[in-house]
Amino acid sequence: MSEIKGKVLKHDQQTRMMHWVHLICFIILGLTGIAFYWDINIISNIFGGPANASLVHRWTGVLFLTGPTIYILLNFERFSRFIDTISTFTKNDIAWLKTMGGYVPFIKVEHAPPQDKYNAGQKILGGLIIIGCLLIILTGFPMWLWRYTLPAAFLSMCYNIHFWTAIIMILLVGGHFFLAAIHPKSRVEFASMMMDGYVDAEITAHHNESWFNELQKVE
Amino acid sequence: MSTVIAEGVIHVTNDCKACDHCTSICPTGAISGMLGQKHHIDPRLCVNCGQCLINCPFGAISDASSVEMVRQALNDSTKIVVVQEAPAVRVALGEEFGLAPGTNVKNKMYAALRKLGFDRVYDTEFTADLTIMEEGTELIHRVFNALGVEGFESSGPLPQFTSCCPAWIKYAEDKYPHILPHISSAKSPQQMFGPVAKTYGAMKLNVDPEDMIVVSVMPCTAKKYECDRPEMIASGFKDVDYVITTRELAEMIKADGIDFLNLADEDADKFIGLSTGAATIFGATGGVMEAALRTAYEILSEEKLDKVEFEAVRGLAPVREATVEIPVKALGTKLPVHVCVVTGLKYVDSVIEDVLAGRSTYHFIEVMNCPGGCINGGGQPIRRDTY
Repeated sequence: MSEIKGKVLKHDQQTRMMHWVHLICFIILGLTGIAFYWDINIISNIFGGPANASLVHRWTGVLFLTGPTIYILLNFERFSRFIDTISTFTKNDIAWLKTMGGYVPFIKVEHAPPQDKYNAGQKILGGLIIIGCLLIILTGFPMWLWRYTLPAAFLSMCYNIHFWTAIIMILLVGGHFFLAAIHPKSRVEFASMMMDGYVDAEITAHHNESWFNELQKVE
Repeated sequence: MSTVIAEGVIHVTNDCKACDHCTSICPTGAISGMLGQKHHIDPRLCVNCGQCLINCPFGAISDASSVEMVRQALNDSTKIVVVQEAPAVRVALGEEFGLAPGTNVKNKMYAALRKLGFDRVYDTEFTADLTIMEEGTELIHRVFNALGVEGFESSGPLPQFTSCCPAWIKYAEDKYPHILPHISSAKSPQQMFGPVAKTYGAMKLNVDPEDMIVVSVMPCTAKKYECDRPEMIASGFKDVDYVITTRELAEMIKADGIDFLNLADEDADKFIGLSTGAATIFGATGGVMEAALRTAYEILSEEKLDKVEFEAVRGLAPVREATVEIPVKALGTKLPVHVCVVTGLKYVDSVIEDVLAGRSTYHFIEVMNCPGGCINGGGQPIRRDTY
């Protein structure tokens, strides 16, 4: 029986709300985008046909941009800490990456190196998602708003970047969902981001040891 | 690629990504479809210019092709196949083989056409000269009619519009039928070549015109529509049988494995191979105007021009105007000829409306659909790196 009791607040209400908004937007954007890029009527018809699917795609894109923007403006300090965390790679992170934190079946790990609030894999994912979102936004709005005035070659480039970034992000988010909601070692975190924000202190002490120690020092 | 011109020349393929870029390119609003929805071209409104085709970011717009029919004719030993090439083709074809835009490859082009199997290789420049002599003379007659000179009462009204751009002609017919009396009655160089080849040409070559196939190599997709117009049978046969574009010629040369860049230079066949520099400049905006002014000047003044260039009508602005003083020997006076050059049908509406309302001060108006003229036609090589 572990000696560590209680719960740790990992994600506050606004963060969870932003995550929900982004998740719902991402699903709608992914579905509608796939529907009209590959001309899959069975999907686009859910949204009222290709033209309406495009309309939903574009306005969901607006929400996809404004949701996190409002969150960042209201929580700038927290967001700065998040960026600081995901952009800081320690020796422990490198060591964690070498063993993939024990998540890969054929690499046996007795005790994964201590991790920050986000493990090295989550840090990389966070960085890629931010870069991906920026690319999607920076190409998506010109494709919509300046489609008549942009040169054809530039428009084509925007479509290619937008499409391939979306494909990579769908794969990344798929992996993120598997680890966060299905994988037996880590699915305990699912409720933290999607529901009350709390994680068992015992799990945190194991998965995010460095951060847990920091929290204890503060207390 | 379609092989039959059934419902218009230009059509959107299934590769359409519904980006909606083409609707801003189309000068007539013929393309329908919202962002995200596959687009469609209404052949009734489409002027077949192909500007949407060369500007589609995904290459998802295509033109009907007669290449297979041309191949069949070339392989048919009972047919004599003659070919003409427009001035704008020779300075663009090289791009398909890696040469810089503007490189004149006419002598290699003639050689390639012979290697492809064409029996006679002529040049459209000769009939561009015919067009301009007709159009220039017609302008003079209309001016004389306007001045009340006796004997010209049956000539049409001023201003006179040019007639060699088939996209412009279809646009005028569709949208401004009342402007038709102002349009020159001269056929385009392509359609002058057809009957000349099938009458005089057939006679000189001692062949039955029924066994003659006339092929055009054009920078323009609208020329495919023009050759199919039912009235284009002055020779008693279809005057021009098939039109292929600069792109399609390049495809044929590549498909036959012809080493284009290393071909020895050849000349066009001679009997209708002679032409003037005025014919060559037809391919650029203002070119027809400049050629007509040269003709009108020499006929009216009865003087040889020392400097043949009328640079006032050159440029790339969509609407340009100039006044050229032409001495009229028969009247003993100088006539200020007000001219206007329009490149891009999007800009022609106000010019036409002024003419129809009697406000226009112009005598002669050149209209070309494609920006910059035929040189930027819908059948030219697609160079995405230059966008």
